[in-house]
Amino acid sequence: MTDTRVTFERPPAPAPAADGTAVHVRGLRMSFGGTEVLHGLNFEVRCGEVFCLLGPNGAGKTTTLEILEGFRVPSGGRVRVLGLDPAAQPARLRERAGIVLQECGFPRRVRVAELIDLWRSYYPNPRPLGELLDVVELAEARNTQVRRLSGGQRRRLDFALALSGDPELIFLDEPTTGFDPEARRRCWAAIENLRGFGKTILLTTHYLDEAERLADRIAILRAGRIELVGTTHEVAVRGGLATRISFTTPSALRRGHIPPPDGIDLTISGPESVCHTAHVAMTLRLLLAWATEHRLGDLDGLAVTAPRLEDTYLQLTSGDPG
Amino acid sequence: MSRTVRLAVRQAVLEQRSFWRSTEYALFTFAFPLMILLLIGAANVGSHLPGTHIKNTTVFVPGILAFSVIVAAYVNLGSKVAVLRHDGVLKRIRTTPLPAGAYLGGLLASTVVTATLITACIGLIGWLAFGAGPRTGELLALAGGLVLGTVCFAALGLAISSVITSAESAGPVAYASFLPIAIISGVFDPTFSGLPAWLSRVVAIFPVKALAELLQNSYAVRPFPAWDLVNLALWTAAGGAFAVWRFRWHS
Repeated sequence: MTDTRVTFERPPAPAPAADGTAVHVRGLRMSFGGTEVLHGLNFEVRCGEVFCLLGPNGAGKTTTLEILEGFRVPSGGRVRVLGLDPAAQPARLRERAGIVLQECGFPRRVRVAELIDLWRSYYPNPRPLGELLDVVELAEARNTQVRRLSGGQRRRLDFALALSGDPELIFLDEPTTGFDPEARRRCWAAIENLRGFGKTILLTTHYLDEAERLADRIAILRAGRIELVGTTHEVAVRGGLATRISFTTPSALRRGHIPPPDGIDLTISGPESVCHTAHVAMTLRLLLAWATEHRLGDLDGLAVTAPRLEDTYLQLTSGDPG
Repeated sequence: MSRTVRLAVRQAVLEQRSFWRSTEYALFTFAFPLMILLLIGAANVGSHLPGTHIKNTTVFVPGILAFSVIVAAYVNLGSKVAVLRHDGVLKRIRTTPLPAGAYLGGLLASTVVTATLITACIGLIGWLAFGAGPRTGELLALAGGLVLGTVCFAALGLAISSVITSAESAGPVAYASFLPIAIISGVFDPTFSGLPAWLSRVVAIFPVKALAELLQNSYAVRPFPAWDLVNLALWTAAGGAFAVWRFRWHS
């Protein structure tokens, strides 16, 4: 099966806040029975972006989301979601935000389309039923009883219910945890369809590949603190990791006939020469000048590898349980 | 307000639809009181209450009416809400702007529909099979008693749902918490007697006998059960207060 992207004619929802910020969090603290689990979080989610809270289990992702959804009152800090204080105005918020919890059930013995239709009746401006079924690829299962759906289908039904009120913002708490690769892939396709609607999406995950594939921006949350925020690339760079430049070691260099380039910390490991740098362009210029000087041509196998999110993430969370 | 009512009606319609979709569950809910009505009723045909001209069946049939109200309102609603909570359906409802009143109103309305159907069924079959019907002019009082009983046991059903900790135990807990009381209240046996005095006083505290007596009064002339009305009102208030106090959206 291939990824399906569904596009519809309806224009993206208008920006809810004048400054283009859907979620605004400043100094967010949360304590349970004297133990502080969130130690002053700061981040923004911009309208129309997919923002991912990435972190290991127990980092505080779900607690953060529950505060933003208005289910928990924070111990300190300021939270605004679509311009509302979630703890004070949960009902108004839930008309404009779709919530997919990590785990919650469906009524027994109802059919897919029936349930979506019921959900549509809860909202002032619901999206059409057919469209919702298409977005989550459940059109063929519309008359199936919910209890007969697979785990992945149930998750996509979750998405359809959360989307039924045509919300400006959608919260997804660990949308694919415990799924097989095929189910994950279809969930991702559904989330990308949501993004196509211009919806702001705030999702949590402990899967790197999920964050990398879906998110415009990522915040790495660890032990109740945000370690880094930015695009996938920014997070990797700010994690202190350098870009890797490598090329096939020229035989003249290997045999010691020519000196290594000045000002570059080059490691010659057999057939491959590698250096790491934060200043890619300058290093490349130096390398190529050195190569020209010693008649090495354009350097065979020259490769520039951007730092990967995975490296940053593993570096930050190494030693954490889970 | 009208939005809340409209949403409650929608909810009730879907509840009824899924209730009847679960054929064996729906049939059993109806078959259990019906079986008791026909089997025990047959054993009482031709007998009279000791020392009176009151036919056993005219006391027995309204007793089974009370029993079926309790099954529909207390057992069904109580275990239903416990399962909804355990399955995380209530938690999901809270993620929507649906007013809590509309949701619970829908569940209650569906319960009223089930209770109405089942009592109509029992009343009709009791009348056809045993000739036991309400006294002339008592139909309204009977309806009032059924409404009061449904409200009271629905409140108690919501209350017990908060005590039930798992979906598996929902049905057994709901049944086990009232069947013994129903038996010693004489619901299944019009001539039931011989309880020790202290146990009779305990039985008089519970609302099962109170509802049975209230309904029996519409079938056979008995002393006006003022205390039964007070009893049901108190249990309704207590059940409602406990249900509100202990209500949780998640397990």
